[in-house]
Amino acid sequence: MTTPSDPLLEVEHVVKHFPVRGGAVLRRAVAQVRAVENVSFTLTTGETLGLVGESGCGKSTLARLVTALHPVTSGHIRFKGQEVTTLSRRQMRPLRKSLQMVFQDPYGSLNPRRRVGSILGDPFAVHGTLSRGQVKKEVQDLMARVGLSPEHFNRFPSEFSGGQRQRIGIARALALRPELIVCDEPVSALDVSIQAQIINLLEDLQDEFNLTYIFIAHDLSVVRHVSDRLAVMYLGKLVETGPVEEIYSRSRHPYTASLLSAVPVAATAFRGTRKERVILSGDVPSPVDPPSGCRFHPRCPKAQERCAREEPLLEQKAGDLPGHLTACHFPVEAGEMLAIASREAPATAAPVATAADARS
Amino acid sequence: MSLFRADAGIEETEDHDVGADADPTEIVGRTPWQLAWTRLRHDRVAMVSLGFIVFLALVAIFAPLLTALIGHGPNAQYPNTGLSLSGIPVGPGHAGFLLGTDDQGRDVLSRIIYGSRVSLVVGVGATLVSLVVGMVVGLVAGYYGGWIDALLARFMDILLSFPILLFALAIIARFGPSLELVLIVIAMFSWPYIGRLVRGQVISLREREFVEAARALGSSDLRIMFVEILPNLLALAVIYATLLIPVNIVLEATLSFLGLGVQPPTASWGNMIAEAQNGDLFTVAWWFLVFPCLALILTTLAFNLLGDGLRDALDPRHGRSQMTPKSKATRRADAKGRAEAKDRAQAKAGAATAGAEA
Repeated sequence: MTTPSDPLLEVEHVVKHFPVRGGAVLRRAVAQVRAVENVSFTLTTGETLGLVGESGCGKSTLARLVTALHPVTSGHIRFKGQEVTTLSRRQMRPLRKSLQMVFQDPYGSLNPRRRVGSILGDPFAVHGTLSRGQVKKEVQDLMARVGLSPEHFNRFPSEFSGGQRQRIGIARALALRPELIVCDEPVSALDVSIQAQIINLLEDLQDEFNLTYIFIAHDLSVVRHVSDRLAVMYLGKLVETGPVEEIYSRSRHPYTASLLSAVPVAATAFRGTRKERVILSGDVPSPVDPPSGCRFHPRCPKAQERCAREEPLLEQKAGDLPGHLTACHFPVEAGEMLAIASREAPATAAPVATAADARS
Repeated sequence: MSLFRADAGIEETEDHDVGADADPTEIVGRTPWQLAWTRLRHDRVAMVSLGFIVFLALVAIFAPLLTALIGHGPNAQYPNTGLSLSGIPVGPGHAGFLLGTDDQGRDVLSRIIYGSRVSLVVGVGATLVSLVVGMVVGLVAGYYGGWIDALLARFMDILLSFPILLFALAIIARFGPSLELVLIVIAMFSWPYIGRLVRGQVISLREREFVEAARALGSSDLRIMFVEILPNLLALAVIYATLLIPVNIVLEATLSFLGLGVQPPTASWGNMIAEAQNGDLFTVAWWFLVFPCLALILTTLAFNLLGDGLRDALDPRHGRSQMTPKSKATRRADAKGRAEAKDRAQAKAGAATAGAEA
């Protein structure tokens, strides 16, 4: 049963429902928002898992479950073999040293009324036994490590730019030398040129400290650039997971295929090779009342009667590499055109420079 | 207002430029409080109010010294010099009584000076007590939510719905009037104002990402409440406390007026007004009614105007409307600032071309 290298993080059948409360006086739960539904994956040390999906599909909720900011409704999360879902906040505290998070909004994740030195001193104040002088030295080392001037420790967050603030957020996550950092859309609030800098910083830090990342994003080019493996979520469920290049070249789930076909291609040399663009009709259904069977079936170009009835399992499909799992009854075959695919006029393809493009 | 703000912007960029040239360790950003003070300094009304309050505080602190200088004690009666032959109080300026005397021949000025002590001790003291209690209760209620919040919020609502005066009268009548009791009773009924305000703020602040970040670091609830959230509440608390002080001063005066506050012969503005209007001597000797009233009104006004100014200074987004005409001084400062900025820009451009030529 044991794999040669024990996984750093195991997520098994994790479910998170948020109650929708109604009623003026008694506030009974009248419905459940099924934010995360039966999600499982594992992570090994040094790996980067890219987590993609539309807004509201449960990516951020999953991130907060993994970092134990929200309790799970059911399921198991094991970090370095230790079950974390049953730990109290006090018991969880020592584990937090090795399990950190970088937040999406660099303007909201730093306390506007505190100086940067004090914000970065927090990890030591909460966990450490360092003296005041040592903390100051550590903070300045951290600032230098993420590319900020250590002399700026006396400034307030408002005196920094968005990219600099995100560096502060990364420094804070890095302070206690964690093993796993969950990055919740760390670059989506930043300018494209700054995105590349931050991603390079994250990659350098990964090499230096042997970090493991869960990298949440909706920019697929960024995810492709940083990730080793990819997990695609739709409406709270994993629909496809596998090695990143495998998924980008041979996506099996119709949702993944349509998602990837929407990535703009910047280099004209590749224009001819790009896939047909799949336009999905309709909106993401409400997670309060998700569709029966496969949750994607109302929007799926390949949907059949069975899809509405029977929920597909996340499993390896014939001809796929091990580790490439798809939850679909009728996976996309190589070279197949999806039904409502429409050809995109080349002139409308807006060239979008991404971090990946900038580096290549 | 907008021009003024643009001016402040120039100042800020200046700071950064200077910092970049100077020794890097010299860079010290201005705190939000320093920025607020800069803005407040340009608000003439608020500065005059602040000046008056500081003056009043000094008067209250040095009351014994001042009355010794005047030569009239606050409770001493001067039947020979302070009252005319027919027993009418002497008017302002007569026989060394700057603000006249009252019906018992006491110096109105000395009594007002001593009365300021009562007003400030009760007004500021009760507000400080309400501030501490209100902040703690508001923080706990807003942060924890759920049944704790429901309980505390209802309790505050109940206190606020009490007829304060009636209840205060009952308590003081039961335990006997004293300065301490007046202070406690006033604080008891004014902390829910702060508590409710703080609770509302905390409910919105606790959803902010920096609170989540603190939780992800493993910070305790206490640490999150007092290290993360509290600093974000201070500006609001300072504003509302400043506006609560005059309310409490008036409440003390009201209680004294009704005979349940500070007991005669100890002077308080409230009981001075009560004594003055008790009878119809004030129709001929207006001064011993008008001057205590004036002291009360000016003090209340000063605190209210300072509170308004603080609100503008601490939270410029909700500043007073842009219709406010700018004072001449501000306009002059603006013009000067612009001219200076222009000069600097020219000097810099000159230096750049010189550098290029070299």
